[in-house]
Amino acid sequence: MRPLALLAALAVLAGCTSVDRLDAPAAPASTEPTFEPLRPDEIARATPERFSVPVVYDTLANGLKVVLSEDHTAPTATIAVYYNIGFRIEPRDRTGFAHLFEHMMFQGSENLGKNEFIGLVQRNGGVLNGSTRFDFTNYFEIVPSNTVETMLWAEADRMRGLAVTQDNLTNQQGVVSNEVRVNVINQPYGGFPWLDLPQAANENWYNAHNFYGELSDLEAANLDDVQSFFDTFYAPNNAALVVSGDIDPAQTMAWIDEYFGGIARADVPPIPDLSEPRQTEEKRTSKTDPLATRPAIAWAYHMPPRNSDAYFAMGLIQEILLSGDDSRLHQALVTDTGLTSNVSGGINWPLGNMFNYNGPMLWSAWLIHDAETEPDSVLAILDREVERLQNEGVEPDVLARAKVKLRSGLYDTIGSGVGLPDLLATFALFDDDPARINTLVDRFERVTPGLIRRTARDVLRPENRTVITLEAGASGS
Amino acid sequence: MTRFLSVLVLVAAAVPSARAQFPSTPPEPAAPRAFDIPEGRTVTLGNGIDVTLVPYGELPKANVYAVVRTGNVDEAPGQTALADLAIGMLTEGTTSRTAEAIAREAAEMGGSVSAGAGLDQTFVTGRVLSEFTPDLVRLVADVLRNPAFDAEAFARIQRDNVRSAAVGRSQPGTLARAAFSRALYGEHPYAAVVLPDPAQIEGATVEDARAFYQANVLPSRTRLYVVGRFDEAAVEAAVRGAFGDWRSEAPAGEMREVPEAQGGARVILVDQPGAAQSNVIVGLPTLDPSHPDYVALQVTNALLGGSFGSRITRNIREDKGYTYSPGSGVSARYRTGYWAENAAIVTASTGPAIREILYEIDSLATHPPAADELRGIQNYLAGTFVLQNSSAGGIASFLSFLDLHGLGRDYLETYAQRVYAVTPQDVQRITRDHIRGDDLTIVVVGDRAVVEEQLTPFGEVVIETL
Repeated sequence: MRPLALLAALAVLAGCTSVDRLDAPAAPASTEPTFEPLRPDEIARATPERFSVPVVYDTLANGLKVVLSEDHTAPTATIAVYYNIGFRIEPRDRTGFAHLFEHMMFQGSENLGKNEFIGLVQRNGGVLNGSTRFDFTNYFEIVPSNTVETMLWAEADRMRGLAVTQDNLTNQQGVVSNEVRVNVINQPYGGFPWLDLPQAANENWYNAHNFYGELSDLEAANLDDVQSFFDTFYAPNNAALVVSGDIDPAQTMAWIDEYFGGIARADVPPIPDLSEPRQTEEKRTSKTDPLATRPAIAWAYHMPPRNSDAYFAMGLIQEILLSGDDSRLHQALVTDTGLTSNVSGGINWPLGNMFNYNGPMLWSAWLIHDAETEPDSVLAILDREVERLQNEGVEPDVLARAKVKLRSGLYDTIGSGVGLPDLLATFALFDDDPARINTLVDRFERVTPGLIRRTARDVLRPENRTVITLEAGASGS
Repeated sequence: MTRFLSVLVLVAAAVPSARAQFPSTPPEPAAPRAFDIPEGRTVTLGNGIDVTLVPYGELPKANVYAVVRTGNVDEAPGQTALADLAIGMLTEGTTSRTAEAIAREAAEMGGSVSAGAGLDQTFVTGRVLSEFTPDLVRLVADVLRNPAFDAEAFARIQRDNVRSAAVGRSQPGTLARAAFSRALYGEHPYAAVVLPDPAQIEGATVEDARAFYQANVLPSRTRLYVVGRFDEAAVEAAVRGAFGDWRSEAPAGEMREVPEAQGGARVILVDQPGAAQSNVIVGLPTLDPSHPDYVALQVTNALLGGSFGSRITRNIREDKGYTYSPGSGVSARYRTGYWAENAAIVTASTGPAIREILYEIDSLATHPPAADELRGIQNYLAGTFVLQNSSAGGIASFLSFLDLHGLGRDYLETYAQRVYAVTPQDVQRITRDHIRGDDLTIVVVGDRAVVEEQLTPFGEVVIETL
């Protein structure tokens, strides 16, 4: 109900065809870096304390994917249901509908009237939320572990069917319109750049529409839309259920079978073609933000296909260039030149991470700067750092540091009551393989300096980039 | 006939009953499992610094928190945001490390080090892979003890703070908080720093920052917390080595004077022509955490506006649709604090939404809640208390909260018990005495042309310019 924002889109990956030929580096072979790939003993040394997540995976007869992960550190558990429907593939005349629908999932089902789902979770000592992203819509409760069965019943009740009224819909149209106002319309830098960049960088409507929704589209939605959307996408064979934390897997699986096993599967339509054409020249646009008091600039590159070698290399390039105070862009733009106090961004940022999407994606960043700073001077520094990576490759110690940062960050994701179920659910939905959570560190460890350089050349091409400059429309002192 | 029936029974037994008939009521929860919030072991160094070590969890990471009792509260008049400038300098280089080296070394440990001034507390913290915890302790010590105060870096931090202040001025939520804080705390830093005067930031010198640091960042005001998975002996040795010889000639200083927060019914409007929403705050000074009724106030807050299922949220969001993310809370300062409901409301419904907020407060002040409703909120607070304190970062933050407010570690053990001791009559009394309906300050940042008239029923509207 308090979706991160809105959005989502599914995309069976027709894949991002823009950068799919990473084996053919554009630069002559003679300039390949001389660094050798890591040897197995070096890989072993680089990962002193390994951490493994227990994963039990099964699929019910009705197609519901179930993932269980035990951890008895504290008497808490997370119940998460992920539906394979994101804002990307919502109906064309109903922008923002996937997100509006997410709100409707809290408005009543057969055995839980309006407010009762929330009340049930709270009076059992838990918290709950839902969100809509590019390729999924999720619902989760973090609760004392003695209440797991109760929560499974509640999630099953709303997977079985909704019982919402026109009043409920009208009410949530008001709530969602206010969500758009507070996060975008009445907020300086509101949709910048997370709503603006996908619209500017992408060509395919599925990737390029306003995911939060035009207010007129939100207002046009009716109860038939709600029912039809539910019938089309909210089926057990289009979902993954994760229960993690202080649980008994056998008992939990028995409850899941009892409450979810009888829900009928549905004919879910195939995901439409989400592919993006290869971008052949840089795009630049600008906008004026009437509320902003300082200008800003954002940029994005199309990512290589998910799970390709270059994709894993991009995870590490992000660590080298963008993540943390030690990153080259932070050092160059913040510490050395003082053009800004912070560079924010990432893959699938800020709506997710590099793992939880399933279609074309952007690697983006943005910063706020002073009026005296020319946007081109920011881009010149970005270009310089990109070219350094393309021309000089990466020193072994820099790559090693990137891998340590990535692994450490991954542990933080895994250690959170939301992050672990998120990875397990999206890996079940998109890869049919939640256990791959335990192979990620290895995939990154195997990235070589040569792959980093080839990826930098192929992905961080100027013609693969979109830049948006924001002009400050408010005076502000 | 008899035989036919028995076949039916057999068939029925072969199909799980739940699939035949989904239960219409939720299964009752099992008995709750016990959990002791970890409080760890505290050792005191020779110079008086208390160090709390809390081994927790399976994840191979650990947090190091150095917490100093200083912050904006120690800024003199005319020096707004000097604490931010001074503390911002800590990670800009030490006598032996550049800013780049600090960032790089922390990154090599799989983490980062950050320093930030709060209102009452300053935090220098890091989180790294377990095996590097002793190294992180040494890095945090260097950052805290040996800042270089380089003049060029200071000029840059100044510009960053001026830019942030300008961005803050563009955010309606920040403007509302500034107007509300000013109504309660006047010129005190608690208010001034919400929207700092750029001229004061520009007027500060690197020597001012160094002087602030020397006067306020003292071993006598510092506590350390290490929480997570780490080698206890190695970390304790690292702490003793890195902090044990930290001495200061400067006097520890008395705890500064606590500002008198001003209550009183007022309606303050900050004009934002054309704004699509009004950012509204309704609140007043109230109990601080050292008060025996503080837990009862938290229960009351959660029931009234501080949770998703609370009365105000159900009313103005789930019933009326006026707003997306309303919420109330108690903002604790040292020996003072305030309760406030915050909401961004669609402009046309600003007045009606405020009326509903006041109605819910009045209703709870005049009628005790039903026992069921209260019981649900008590479960919610007891459950979320465990959630908040079941991560390394959560534990470190909460322990430092207890220490700031002088609350004993028994607070952890008795919290749930105290939550459940609150009666419906207590909730009514707390609302009546500490969320007093006739003492509420109403702040609105919105389109005056539309909302001023909507606000007149609540009192004389004072137009404020920030």
